[in-house]
Amino acid sequence: MTIVDTKIKHGDASDGILGGRLSRIDGPAKITGSADYAMEHFPEGMVHAVIIDSTIASGRVLAIDAAAAEAYPGVLLVLTPDNAIAIKTATDWTGAPPPAVPFEPFAREITFNGQHIAAVIAETFEQATAAAALVKVTYDKTVPISTFDDPRAGEGYPIDMMTKEWGDAEAALATSPVRIKQEYRTPREYNVPIEPHGLIAQWTGDMLTLWEPSQWIDGMSRTYAEWFDIPFENVRMLSPYIGGGFGSKALPTRYGAVAAIAAKMLDRPVKLAITRPQTFTAFGGRPATRQTIALGATREGKLLSILHRGDNETSMNDVAVEPLGSVISIMYATPNFSSRQNLVPVNTVKPGALRAPGENPSAFGIECAIDELAYEVGIDPLDIRLLNYAEEDPSANKPWSTRRLREAYAAGADAFGWAKRNPRPRSMRDGKQLIGYGVAAGTYPVRRTPGEAMVRILSNGTIEVASSGIDMGQGTYTILAQTAAEAIGVPVETVMVKLGDSSLPRAPVAGGSQLANLMTGAVHKAALAARDELIGIAINHPNSPFRDLQANTLTIEAGRISSPRDTGAGIGIAEVMRRTGRDRIEALRNTLPEEHQNAKDHFRNFTTIATMKSPTEGDYSLHSWCVHFVEVRVDVDFGTVRVARMVSALDSGRLYNPKLAESQWKGGIIMGIGQALLEEGLVDDRYGRVMNNNLGDYLVPTNADIPDLKVISVGIPDTHASVLGGKAVGELAIVGVAPAIANAVYHATGVRVRNLPITLEKLI
Amino acid sequence: MTNRTTIHLEINGQNQALEVEPRVTLLDALRDHLQLTGTKKGCDQGQCGACTVHVDGERVLACLTLAAQAEGRKITTVEGLSEPGGELHPVQAAFLDHDAFQCGYCTPGQIMSAVACIREGHAGSDDDIREYMSGNLCRCGAYPHIVEAIREAAKVMS
Repeated sequence: MTIVDTKIKHGDASDGILGGRLSRIDGPAKITGSADYAMEHFPEGMVHAVIIDSTIASGRVLAIDAAAAEAYPGVLLVLTPDNAIAIKTATDWTGAPPPAVPFEPFAREITFNGQHIAAVIAETFEQATAAAALVKVTYDKTVPISTFDDPRAGEGYPIDMMTKEWGDAEAALATSPVRIKQEYRTPREYNVPIEPHGLIAQWTGDMLTLWEPSQWIDGMSRTYAEWFDIPFENVRMLSPYIGGGFGSKALPTRYGAVAAIAAKMLDRPVKLAITRPQTFTAFGGRPATRQTIALGATREGKLLSILHRGDNETSMNDVAVEPLGSVISIMYATPNFSSRQNLVPVNTVKPGALRAPGENPSAFGIECAIDELAYEVGIDPLDIRLLNYAEEDPSANKPWSTRRLREAYAAGADAFGWAKRNPRPRSMRDGKQLIGYGVAAGTYPVRRTPGEAMVRILSNGTIEVASSGIDMGQGTYTILAQTAAEAIGVPVETVMVKLGDSSLPRAPVAGGSQLANLMTGAVHKAALAARDELIGIAINHPNSPFRDLQANTLTIEAGRISSPRDTGAGIGIAEVMRRTGRDRIEALRNTLPEEHQNAKDHFRNFTTIATMKSPTEGDYSLHSWCVHFVEVRVDVDFGTVRVARMVSALDSGRLYNPKLAESQWKGGIIMGIGQALLEEGLVDDRYGRVMNNNLGDYLVPTNADIPDLKVISVGIPDTHASVLGGKAVGELAIVGVAPAIANAVYHATGVRVRNLPITLEKLI
Repeated sequence: MTNRTTIHLEINGQNQALEVEPRVTLLDALRDHLQLTGTKKGCDQGQCGACTVHVDGERVLACLTLAAQAEGRKITTVEGLSEPGGELHPVQAAFLDHDAFQCGYCTPGQIMSAVACIREGHAGSDDDIREYMSGNLCRCGAYPHIVEAIREAAKVMS
């Protein structure tokens, strides 16, 4: 349409509006209490649902006696498998067609403790809660298999697609001059966002409105539509703010179906807020894992073979893979490699995704094992990492797009003062405190799904950006405003961003650390299209002040259009819009490939994960990288471990907003400190019950657990990874924290703890 | 337990009369009955601090307080910390500057705790701040920035 030389900036992190340290634009709403989270809406006539969960882990429900609850004041309905309306099974997130059987959100056959079996709906929350306690359930109990350590759990079954092998790992190991072999374990870990899960469901005819915290508006909306056999467009999901998710708010849940069923049956809006204890069983966290790692090496510490076998717990009827081979297969160069993984079914809720699923425990294994090898051959733990540095992806045999890990080691070691470390364990001490220095690396892949965005230039010169993508604290609102502001050439204050609403243009899941890259790409494309149209109008419209200038090199800066032939201050966008009689310019753009620009592929792209590209699709292997340096102090008498300080150097490519990216990195590091020292779902073997299902007993880090954290960005723009040069941020920084701490604890004490968390009884 | 009772609360300088059951917590009274949803429900068990409000100037967990216990008392919530559209409270401003939050859900509780922490004289050192802010959990992990924000706000407020 126009001949415009559009300049796209691909500068470093300090270049331009995008890349600036803007405070988050949704911040004022959050600090004044005016941010409206999904569950904070009050539709007329709203009633309250409380879910009743099984108190056994295995067996079946014989009878539900609801008489007392039904007679309780205010109770409208006791919903059970016997009276709930039937709904259909929906397509799963991979897009696999569902079986033609009803979907039953309540269980009759019990496979874990905490399984939903009924619900009470009453006029008030207090009435529903009290009445739920009156429902009597009788069971036929069988003995549960509580964990994968129960001998009856067996070895589980292999997941063949997890197998990665090259060379002959067993033979090479057998002939290696140096061999070590150990088992590394991580317990069940939970997401515990501070906003508990739940939803408000309201029917208006065959339109379903859902206020539900969601990491994936379009995927979840599709499920609700298929459950109730209504068109996708009939589901409106609203999730403008999300009080944390960490992987736990991406998929529809059974309680969601319960709320929507109850709302339909009662023809009233239903609010269903699950309790904090229920957040441990209404969906799964990270499954327990165990890995056996055997390393074969030369006497100098050069790897000859890696032999890896991993297991994770899954639920009785579901396949939930925590990919334990993900980091061990790419971190180091080795001529021989073998990794296989089994799943072991136990009586638990289906495990879910928790920050860096797979990478996190995988790194715990290999990054501890390489540390052990360093001691075995007597070289520095940093040196052994450099000695075995993978110059290309050893698994995919492709070059890295960018791998600034060597730079990260150097920058981190320097800032930390690694050179001052006495290599001998238990050699550094301050009074009653044993001091240990530890290091470990981490990585997270770059995942890619096409995105979509609408960018509007309004008559008053302001810009509107719209997407169903979400912001759960990653900074989506802010970086999309920065993206549009830079692409069009307006002050960022004039950009308004609308997110978290299924009526807006589509977005894939906010998971796999992909959203920032794909949404900045989509917004950038839409914003440039809107800018092109604006420039075109300015050049061509008979009433445009620029028409007579015959200029095809108009520029827009700070919201003003100017021509190089015009020495004035230019003309504001609003003025050009007014003179040319335009009330708005709209550009809806997606980043789907040309061959997928059709309704079917479009729908599939945003409502399934089928089109998400793997990090090795294409010519390069795309990953973010990091290294953590930790100083721990261990009380010599009591074995208490404190993280005294940490320095992390990270390569996430270009940072769209370093202030917010640093916050995400630190958040991941802090969650990693919790994983290393505190977090563990404790299962009562008799009842298959998670005993510490609350925030007083499932310990997450508090402010007093966390020292000053230094983070250093060593990334450079990587345009193989994304249009604007960013790589993964959100899930990167937790990876490698736990092994760095475990390695530091070994250095401090001489005690190697291979099963997380590192609690004092393991040290004394 | 379904007899309603009238409770009088002074919330953010305004007198409010509420008809609630005696078992209604202050937290649910604020959120569900007055639609003051700035005060957050994170656990409903007194373990996370997201529901922290001030009752007669002291920080209190609204989920462990029955609304009736606050009869006649002065309650301040995050909505009452600064005038709508007016200047931010120094703690709010510092939280924004230092990016002392991500998802924002624990933030009102953190801010109410922080104001009290400074007022109590417990913001004299970073270690003090960490200790006296440890009743407020933040799963996004904003703690280092919360400490920075409180350190700065304490200077402004003194």
